[in-house]
Amino acid sequence: MEAIRQTNLQTEQPLFAKLFPNNEWVLLIVLSVEIILFGFTGNNFLTAGNGFEITRLAVEIGLLALVMTLIIITGGIDLSVGSMMGLSAVVMGALWRDAHLPMPLAILLTLLVGVLGGTLNALIITKLRFPPLIVTLGTFSLFRGMAEGLTRGIENYSGFSQEFLFLGQGYIFGLIPAQLLILIVAIFGIYWILQRTAYGRSLYAIGFSQEGARHAGIKVRRSLNIVYILSGLMSSLAAVIYVAHLGQAKSDAGTGYELMAITAVVLGGASIFGGRGTIPGTVLGLFAIVILQNGLRLSGQPAELAGILTGVLLVATILIDRISRQAAAKPKREFLEEEEVRNSQVGILSAVILLAAIIVAGSNWMLVRSIRESNSGSSSPSSSAQNQTANAPANGKKSVIAMMPKAKGDPYFISCKKGADEAAKEVGAELLWDGPTDLDPAKQNEVVEAWITRGVDTIAVSVENKEAISTVLKKAKDKGIKVVTWDADANKDARDLFINQATPQGIGETLMDEAARVLGNKGEFAIVTASLSAANQNEWIKYIKARLAEKYPDIKLVAIQPSDGDRDRAFSETQNILKVYPNVKLVMGIAAPAVPGVAEAVKQSGKTDVKVTGLSLPNMCKPYIKEGIIDHIVLWDTGNLGYLTVFVSNALANGTLKKGDKQIQAGKLKNIEIVEDEVRLGKPFVFNKENVDNFDF
Amino acid sequence: MNFDRYKREISAAIAYLVLLLIVGIAAPSFFDAGNLGDLFINNAPVLLLAIGMTLVILIGEIDISVGSQFAVASVAAGMLAKTGMPIPVLFFLMMLIGTVMGAVNGVLIGWLKLPSIIVTLALLVAWRDGLRWTTEGAWVQDLPPNFQWFGIGQTFGQILIVGIPLVIFAVFVWSLRNLNLGRAIYAVGSDAEAARLAGIKPQKVVFGVFVVMGALVGLAALLNAARFNSIPSNTGIGLELKAVAAVVVGGTAITGGRGKLIGTLIGVALLGTIGTALTFLGINAFWEKAIQGLIILAALVGDVVLARLERKKK
Amino acid sequence: MNILLKAENVTKSYAGVQALKSASFELTGGEVHALIGENGAGKSTFIKILTGAVEADSGKLEIGENVVKENSPTIAKSLGVAAIYQQPALFPELSVAENIAFGQEKKGFFGRVDWKARRLKAQELLAEVGAKIDVDAEAGSLSMPQQQLVEIARALGANAKILILDEPTASLSEEDAKNLFRVIRSLKEKGVGMIYISHRLEELPVIADRVTVLRDGNTIDTREMSAVSREELIKLMVGRDLSQVFPKKDVKLGEVVLELRNLGYAKAGVKDINLTVRAGEIVGIAGLVGAGRTEFARAVFGLDTADSGEILLNGKSIRNTHPQDAIRHKIAYLPEDRRKHGVILDLPISTNITLSSLKILSGKFGFNFNKEKEVAAEYTRRLGVKTPSIHDSVSTLSGGNQQKVALSRWLITKPDVLILDEPTQGIDVGAKSEIHELMTELAEQGVAILMISSELPEILGMSDRVAVMHGGTIVEVLDRKEATQAKVLSIALGHTKVNGKL
Repeated sequence: MEAIRQTNLQTEQPLFAKLFPNNEWVLLIVLSVEIILFGFTGNNFLTAGNGFEITRLAVEIGLLALVMTLIIITGGIDLSVGSMMGLSAVVMGALWRDAHLPMPLAILLTLLVGVLGGTLNALIITKLRFPPLIVTLGTFSLFRGMAEGLTRGIENYSGFSQEFLFLGQGYIFGLIPAQLLILIVAIFGIYWILQRTAYGRSLYAIGFSQEGARHAGIKVRRSLNIVYILSGLMSSLAAVIYVAHLGQAKSDAGTGYELMAITAVVLGGASIFGGRGTIPGTVLGLFAIVILQNGLRLSGQPAELAGILTGVLLVATILIDRISRQAAAKPKREFLEEEEVRNSQVGILSAVILLAAIIVAGSNWMLVRSIRESNSGSSSPSSSAQNQTANAPANGKKSVIAMMPKAKGDPYFISCKKGADEAAKEVGAELLWDGPTDLDPAKQNEVVEAWITRGVDTIAVSVENKEAISTVLKKAKDKGIKVVTWDADANKDARDLFINQATPQGIGETLMDEAARVLGNKGEFAIVTASLSAANQNEWIKYIKARLAEKYPDIKLVAIQPSDGDRDRAFSETQNILKVYPNVKLVMGIAAPAVPGVAEAVKQSGKTDVKVTGLSLPNMCKPYIKEGIIDHIVLWDTGNLGYLTVFVSNALANGTLKKGDKQIQAGKLKNIEIVEDEVRLGKPFVFNKENVDNFDF
Repeated sequence: MNFDRYKREISAAIAYLVLLLIVGIAAPSFFDAGNLGDLFINNAPVLLLAIGMTLVILIGEIDISVGSQFAVASVAAGMLAKTGMPIPVLFFLMMLIGTVMGAVNGVLIGWLKLPSIIVTLALLVAWRDGLRWTTEGAWVQDLPPNFQWFGIGQTFGQILIVGIPLVIFAVFVWSLRNLNLGRAIYAVGSDAEAARLAGIKPQKVVFGVFVVMGALVGLAALLNAARFNSIPSNTGIGLELKAVAAVVVGGTAITGGRGKLIGTLIGVALLGTIGTALTFLGINAFWEKAIQGLIILAALVGDVVLARLERKKK
Repeated sequence: MNILLKAENVTKSYAGVQALKSASFELTGGEVHALIGENGAGKSTFIKILTGAVEADSGKLEIGENVVKENSPTIAKSLGVAAIYQQPALFPELSVAENIAFGQEKKGFFGRVDWKARRLKAQELLAEVGAKIDVDAEAGSLSMPQQQLVEIARALGANAKILILDEPTASLSEEDAKNLFRVIRSLKEKGVGMIYISHRLEELPVIADRVTVLRDGNTIDTREMSAVSREELIKLMVGRDLSQVFPKKDVKLGEVVLELRNLGYAKAGVKDINLTVRAGEIVGIAGLVGAGRTEFARAVFGLDTADSGEILLNGKSIRNTHPQDAIRHKIAYLPEDRRKHGVILDLPISTNITLSSLKILSGKFGFNFNKEKEVAAEYTRRLGVKTPSIHDSVSTLSGGNQQKVALSRWLITKPDVLILDEPTQGIDVGAKSEIHELMTELAEQGVAILMISSELPEILGMSDRVAVMHGGTIVEVLDRKEATQAKVLSIALGHTKVNGKL
């Protein structure tokens, strides 16, 4: 065979192809653009502190994305990772708090739960040979459901020791976040496994052709089992860090993380069909997303842009990948991909349709805007974070007030914002309004971190979870930022003042007392709450139950059903309640969007003797209140809450309000009382047929 | 009748019957006409989405952006209704809006041949965040009085809301079986290259299916919205998973080419009944998700067990 | 004779590679016109141009009365062109009737399906090709030859006047092939023109009327089949003489390396296999498709776990439950389906070559990439794989070169036993003889070789002994001297131990 010589056989791969096997250079460009852009527009974006903070936020999703890379390379997918985080978090909480196990042992057993969950996925996928997409869709529901079932949705484990919390909140050398080390170790570990070992090599082969790999002597099933088990294990590890990061363990940990992880992996150049992908690519993809979110925040851009841009980026990268592969495709493969439609036709068609989509989106926007304007009627011109004002600030410098709702899209908080905008204009402060789009304590921390980096004068937070946010608020205080909580409080030592519109106890008792009045002190009633794991609602329910036991022996609470903050779900749950418990005379909705759903269900059932009460916004409920279906709703003037918060924040920032002051002159609200470290807005207000027309929020 | 061809659907049906039997014994009031009616109405929009999802999965693709599309369409429905346009025009425009959103998927997946799971993942995020950005969470309120129940009263409105999906279901069942278009869907899902060589243009079929999916989303959003007098802007979260799960439980193969709409109907019924059934059985709501997951897995494992039994018979 | 098809100076290039330089071809009604050439000669491209799968860059194409300017699958079909590929292109999930009817009722997307008519038509067409197949069965449940017949029935249903058969007998048993020839003849009588592509030159005189040879994208010549010999055809195809066909050398045989005792795998219908192979020996495994040859090899290699009998390696009993076990025992298996099993098309050449020796190439700190490069380059050179770089993906190679990559993978493992399953099927003549030479070389080094082949001359030319399989077992083992084509065939057909006659 020596006869055939090839003198010019290339054995070295060209550097470019070696470095960027899957067009990762695109991401490198994206990253550079992001960094340059945000370097100019973002406050303190280009600082070492921010650099490390970004990595802290990337750890949990990063861990998931690393193993997801392996799975996607084998041609599979694992949708259950986020749910596994939830399950692991509550298992760890329960083992530590309820079973009194020492923390290391609890962590170890938690990791075991991950291994078991991964094994379940692995067995169904490799033994029964079902597509991973469907199998993990099933376990996606199963794991989350188990987490909710085990904790009845309510349990919220917190009060972990400082040593444990260091794992998620501490700094090494005062600068490097502790969990970053874990991520770095994981990156190198997984990189080594995938790209430096025989096992990793076999994963690529499996991704392209399972049968081909088997013929080459690769143990396909065993290899796949390992990746899915590893994925379960990594999800549990991510859960442990998540819990340490937030200081709390709840069944909703990691919700939606699977999609984030998949996004990072695909951005990083991995092919969803298997066979292609690298760890450096995934890491680049991960940071492209995280930096985008962080940068937008520091530049004061709306957080929703991140989602839109991520979507565009995702489509753009796979499109570039496809085009470049097509160009490089050799004759044999050309045939399969040959188009019958010319590129120009596709181009025109795409352009037309994208244009149409933009028109739909745009007109929607215009309509929404115009209607919102007309809704808000005479009230001040809306929004805009950087509100220029004519009023010269007292000390010549505009104070920057960063204000965070629990969820941006919640109508309740939107009505708060109206008052906040008004006050900001009055006092001549710059108002930053940002927060999670859904209830998400992890996101709240992230936003506060960004604000600390950016540098603001006051941070005002409506706290989703006490334990989770207190550490980071303390950090803000240490940096000399004034910290205010509003709507819901953090730990006392983590903030300067709390704007108290009503205590959970006050809300719970008012709700119960008013309901009892409607019921005539006897009969059955049911509650429709937000999600089963919603912290606030669970707190209120606690006081409602206590009040019930204490004062109303003849009233019975027969059911508590979840609505997930979804009007339509509240509707169908109420329908069920009315049928299963025909003696129910009152349904109480304790989440703003739930009450209209409850009312509509009662209305459609035609049961005129059933009344609806609850906690919601007047505008949403107005028609039902007028029809007499909703007897009353309990709330405070949300606009005033926002107004007062900004006023207090500003006064703290420019030093006009000091510790120990007994009252504050808050603009149109006049004299507001301060008791110890709480600013009292007043008592909860009861809206009914008579007074509801006087309010517009 | 060839039972072999329906074995997957039959196993789903048996599971459903078992569920009904349990509920029937433990809580007979479940079968109250009013309750069944409510069940129908509440699940009618999901059925529409699941019909579309069946087609999408039959051609071997997936669409996880429908929940976000649904939210965009819902808000659009409210906006359009507020302009006071006549109801038939509203129906038409809603389908059109859905069509456009479906066409975005269709172009990217059908013509540019990008993987559907990634494209729809991107659009899932983009549509949702786009909507949040524009509405800032505001609900559409003060709808004209003729919007709820399309101005024809609760009874007729409900008949329409259940009737339209059922008619559409029947039309799709018939077309899938008896129109060349329907068979082309199976062919493309079965083997796109063979379909191409047989003279079908797969990209046209893929594009068409996503457009139909979009139109159905538009319609479902309208039918859902018409049950109320206001429209929240955050609806439809998780709807895509509901639809996919219903289709899969109904026996449609995720790899494409195999499956029937009748199975999807059973899947929608099965998953749509569980929540209500749990309440009737007095089981706490927080186990619902876990049971849903178990049912999906059980449907898969049941398939294998059935296949094994059959092999033994032979 | 009416001319059905005329192609003149057709050219086509892909991404700068000239696949067709100047192809000319003519087909008349009622004719079987063979189209032959080495792999890469441009046959597939030419066929794709005819069926409209790709468009030609230049040249003239006339189909029937029409000058075809722009072609597409739809246009080609409407002009009566139908193709049947090596791998049947049916919809596995759809019924036979539906597959046959597919795309033939020109009613557009909203046309209605008439199921009754479809079934009747399907039954009629299947009867025409002499197939007894349930029209309601799912196409995926049919055997390969059955699927092929369904495809022919489909082509008939489409009133195809020009039928392209691409390697139709490649995976057919002798009997099925005979049946196919019968169908082809009956189509001839109906005036259908057929383009017949095959690597099996010996079947051409049986079925073809004329033959056209393609080489390097050019039409070399068209001859009457009756006026050309096999040797001439080979010469036209390769453009040179192949003096010695099989480079078999006599090697001094060593000890018995592999011994199989009553080996069986019930699920695949393989039973009671008894065979010994000695070091340096090449044992040919002959038999018809379906005789259990591949199934037997799979059981030895651990792809399936044998459920009866024993495998002895160097006298010691071993058990292979996974290919990894077999590899550890120094057994290698070059599978029949090269593209699906032999190589992983999308992976680079280097990766493919080392895929079965990952452990060997791993050090303490993971995989040794430099070593891999060295090894890959060494074997790429040694086997003469024609490629610019070892980092190119295997899909860029021609069939013969892919097979060399697949073989390299096993040579690295330094096997004691090498099982080759149809090692030269579907590859061009040049690469074929290179592989034969390599086999000889390996035998000289003392490797025990089992070679499964459907090509009798190859079996007879390369083997020291020939084991003939029938009905899932080895019926007889013949010595090189006593093995003749007729004898092997008669045993393979089930005429056990009848000497001489067929």
